[in-house]
Amino acid sequence: MTGIATFLVEFLKLTFLSMVPFVLAGQGTMLGGRTGVFNVAQEGIMLTGASVGFLVGYTSGSVFVGAVAAMLVGGLFGLILSYFTTTLKMDQFVVGLALFFVGTGLSTLLPKLVLGITLTPPLIPTLKNIPIPLLSEIPVLGPILFNQNILVYVSVLLSILLWYLLFKTNLGLRLRSVGENPKAADSLGISVNRYRYLTSIIGGMLIGLAGAYLPMVYTGTFTELMTKGRGWIVIALTFFGGWSPLVILLGSIFFAGIEVLSYRMQVGGSVIPFQFLNMLPYIGTIIIMIFTFGKSRVPAFLGQNYDRERRTL
Amino acid sequence: MEQTTILQMHEVNKTFDKVKALDNVEFELKSNEILGLLGGNGAGKTTLMNVLYGLYKMDSGSIILNGKPISIPSPKDAIAHGIGMVHQHFLQINNYTVLDNIILGTSVSHPWTADRKKEKTEIEKLCKRFGLEINLDAYIESLPMGTRQKVEILKALYRGVNILILDEPTTNLIPQEVDALFETLKIMVKEGLSIVFITHKLREVLHICDRISVLREGKNVVSLTRKDASDEMLVRAMVGEGMDLKKSVIFSDSGRKFDTTKREKVLTLENVSLVNSDKITVLNDISLEIEAGEIFGVAGVAGNGQRDLAEVVMGIQTATSGSVKFMNEDITHQTTKENIARGFVYIPEDRLSDGFLHKASVAYNLILGYHNLPPYSKNGIVNWKNVNTASKDMIKKFTIKTTGPDDAGGNLSGGNIQRVMIARAFSQSSKLMVAHNPTRGLDIPSMDFVYKNIYEHAETGMATLLLSEDLDELLLISDRIAVMYRGKIVGILPKEKFDKYEIGRLMSGYDQESK
Amino acid sequence: MTQIKKSLPYVIAILGAFIAAGIFIAAIQFNPFEAYKTLITTSFRTPNGFIQTLMKWVPLTLTALAFTVPLSSGKFNIGAEGQFLAGAIGATSVGILLADLPAALLIPLVIIAGIVTGALWGLISAWLLYQFNINEILSTVLLNFISFQLVDYVATGPWRDPSAGAPTTIAIGQNGYLPMLIKNPPLSIGVILMILVAVGIYFYTNKTTSGYELVATGANPRAAKVHGIDTRKMFLLSMVIGAAAAGLAGALEVSGVQHRLIEGIHSNFATLGLIIGLISRGKNQAVPFVAFFIAVLEVGASAMQRTMMIPSQVVLIVEALIVIFILLSDLIKRRQK
Repeated sequence: MTGIATFLVEFLKLTFLSMVPFVLAGQGTMLGGRTGVFNVAQEGIMLTGASVGFLVGYTSGSVFVGAVAAMLVGGLFGLILSYFTTTLKMDQFVVGLALFFVGTGLSTLLPKLVLGITLTPPLIPTLKNIPIPLLSEIPVLGPILFNQNILVYVSVLLSILLWYLLFKTNLGLRLRSVGENPKAADSLGISVNRYRYLTSIIGGMLIGLAGAYLPMVYTGTFTELMTKGRGWIVIALTFFGGWSPLVILLGSIFFAGIEVLSYRMQVGGSVIPFQFLNMLPYIGTIIIMIFTFGKSRVPAFLGQNYDRERRTL
Repeated sequence: MEQTTILQMHEVNKTFDKVKALDNVEFELKSNEILGLLGGNGAGKTTLMNVLYGLYKMDSGSIILNGKPISIPSPKDAIAHGIGMVHQHFLQINNYTVLDNIILGTSVSHPWTADRKKEKTEIEKLCKRFGLEINLDAYIESLPMGTRQKVEILKALYRGVNILILDEPTTNLIPQEVDALFETLKIMVKEGLSIVFITHKLREVLHICDRISVLREGKNVVSLTRKDASDEMLVRAMVGEGMDLKKSVIFSDSGRKFDTTKREKVLTLENVSLVNSDKITVLNDISLEIEAGEIFGVAGVAGNGQRDLAEVVMGIQTATSGSVKFMNEDITHQTTKENIARGFVYIPEDRLSDGFLHKASVAYNLILGYHNLPPYSKNGIVNWKNVNTASKDMIKKFTIKTTGPDDAGGNLSGGNIQRVMIARAFSQSSKLMVAHNPTRGLDIPSMDFVYKNIYEHAETGMATLLLSEDLDELLLISDRIAVMYRGKIVGILPKEKFDKYEIGRLMSGYDQESK
Repeated sequence: MTQIKKSLPYVIAILGAFIAAGIFIAAIQFNPFEAYKTLITTSFRTPNGFIQTLMKWVPLTLTALAFTVPLSSGKFNIGAEGQFLAGAIGATSVGILLADLPAALLIPLVIIAGIVTGALWGLISAWLLYQFNINEILSTVLLNFISFQLVDYVATGPWRDPSAGAPTTIAIGQNGYLPMLIKNPPLSIGVILMILVAVGIYFYTNKTTSGYELVATGANPRAAKVHGIDTRKMFLLSMVIGAAAAGLAGALEVSGVQHRLIEGIHSNFATLGLIIGLISRGKNQAVPFVAFFIAVLEVGASAMQRTMMIPSQVVLIVEALIVIFILLSDLIKRRQK
């Protein structure tokens, strides 16, 4: 293969590898948003998921157990978010911000408590790739799509499953109606609260797992603030994806691509100072937002709490 | 037909934020009847039925259905007991189809696929049985109000209800659609249903209801059959003794005198068009003139451009083409702030969301819009002393129940919030008032108070642009009535030519549609 | 008497948070009473402790105002970090480039440069909101990350101080150093500037017509717009004012404390600023007082980590709990009505 072709294959392979945190956290955010819960705590939940996932994986010796722990913690955050907003009816932004702080602080505090101060960071083994027989032999597409770690496959399957669930089943019809018009849904006997709790918790679990992916796949260890703003980018991504699972999958590939590109350009040697290359993902996100904000279809009651007995004139 | 009592509600009490909305209310519904639940705004009719439908929890009381006491903690339970409700503001998902809206919340034969053939056939049968014509695959947001109401009715019928509650169902209908609705109700009664018809309109209740029950301020007043009822009796029951009917605008026949001899033109619109951000033409070549002291009514079904017209006049939106003139001054590109300084007053339709600052104090609310003008502000500094004095005056004059100018806006009850906005609107000497559904949500004495204030200001030369979906209101106080349809003025009628059905025809675009 | 009655729920909330955090501290095997003693009294035991507290008080108040002013109009400015750093970069640049100017000129220029650069950084988000309706939470946070890269570039570029360990610039010209109120321990006149700004902002929001429009916009933007207020302008103005305050904080840190740009100079000021803003319930007049309280806790936290080996993040947990308890007490008040 020529130099450019090799570069492209490597680039795409890396992109598909990197899209996972965006997909998982994006779908998690989308689920909550579809019932009207606007989660802005992703950065904090991902950090705690990364921290807990790593610590539990290290102390238990099993990366799988670590991942489950990260999901449980994420689910807990989702539960707290839902309790404060759905039941106590507090402002969703404020609660989300508070959880972001707590998550960030917790993620830094826990390693200090569990490991103490260490000079060399302990490592966990990173996820291995699982090549799919036959398919991974296909030239070009094989290594890109069919020789990845298990969570890459899970992300794609999850996106397709969510799309089908939301748009082709009765369950999806009800779930979406909660975010489109909670009063209408309520009047037809659909439990607004139940759907909001469910999507918040499952969404939180996905976001926690997205955070755990970073130590599990990239570095093998936890470093402070290692998400570097991905949690916030996910929020823009969900808007960009029109709160739609398949478009979010595509958008994640796109954002991951920018991330990989800026990294490749640094490694490959470039005239542009590396700090400006590091800015690429964030600037890219802002540019995407310029083109999509206001144009994407958002669940009508996103961010608004529902109170059955509130009287309107 | 032998009529039995199928539903009773006993000693129902409900308090909201220190206001007693229902006070030991009794309610009875018989089989195969249309019962009218009559009363002004705030009388408690909707609250009572929301309790029956499980949307509100009553503080105390009982519900007896077919002789057995039942409890209804949520709408799901109401439906299970065969009780359905069509709300005043339709509870529909705008970007779903009619079919999806009807089946939402029910169990379907294929829950894990998108196959809805069975359900569709069933609903089509219902449509035939009750004479409701509708395209099940259309999206709700594309449908007119009358059709959307049919969807609401179908939702209830599909769930097999025996009792159907309709909350102010004629609010958004033209007279022809009202007649069609009444026919549908009669068919439903013949098919075995009982109907509760909530309304504040006397005419309707005497027309269609078999029995009538009147509520006022959360209490029962009287229940009687249509035979025994009369106009005066029902009016008295609705408003009580406190209101002087002879001096009222609504009930006395003393019309006001407005002669259309040449007076100065206050507001002139010439070929005004407005294309909105979605590239839709919401105002189409509008031309009209309003004279000083005139009350110019604009009729139309909701959503035909009324709000856009109000906002263009006020300067909240700018016309895409054409000109707006005040006296002889071109104000097409003026801002709202400049227009308010000219003496424009705006009563927006959605008063809670567009007219009130819940998170600010009462004083803030009372000066909103005038805050930058003397005596409230000078050289960019607010004179709070003047603000407080003026606020205290307004609180007294308009009987606003509050602890004072510093009270938080959110502490006020719904009725007092309306009073704040009425106080704000009528405390200025204004040259032009743009009022959009000004009496919606007001009880009858308050409605009359608003009409009296409009008349008084009109005497001093204020011109009024009255946009209203309440045809009765327009017929009562307007000097001329224009009809809007799809952003166009399709007719302007002088007082001598006021005719409900003619206006209804124009409102439905009958002349515009090619049949 | 009603003043005391009104503040009672807040006092209970704070006590509740301390008790909850105390349980947490005990759970991680430390003595909560010893911890709290260090936390609260360190500021008042020595003159050095008190001056340290005042020094922290300045940036904390300003970054908190950077959050509460936009909040008054209903917007969430999470970008105080980036605006602080932008101000620091601006101040440093002017301080180095114009180092030869006399102090009477250089000091005001340095300060103004910080305010303007911070305001411009905030203007980016404000303009994105004004023009494209982009949610300001997202744009301000993204700009924070971009500002970190910018600081790294400046601190490792031609102005780099090779003798320093972490990326740091050379010092700004001596004439750019803020005059000191107290020589030892060092306290610059920054504290006076901060107080002036806080008073100015209070006057603006509560006494001016523009301030009325700001508050009305935050109370109900739709109603404000319908009654003639240019709400989009208000959003922009409030964000720029907030960003200018953060920029000033950055300039004061450079000119009055560090005298150079150090990577990490923003410390945790912006995060704490947000927390202070939330605890103050968005009220500008409460900010300086809450900020002082938090400054006391922060000074105590470093001492606690030094002498008792309790990680300083614990104090963040305390502060987060205070926010949560105060928000809850608000809820209870609402329910009581």
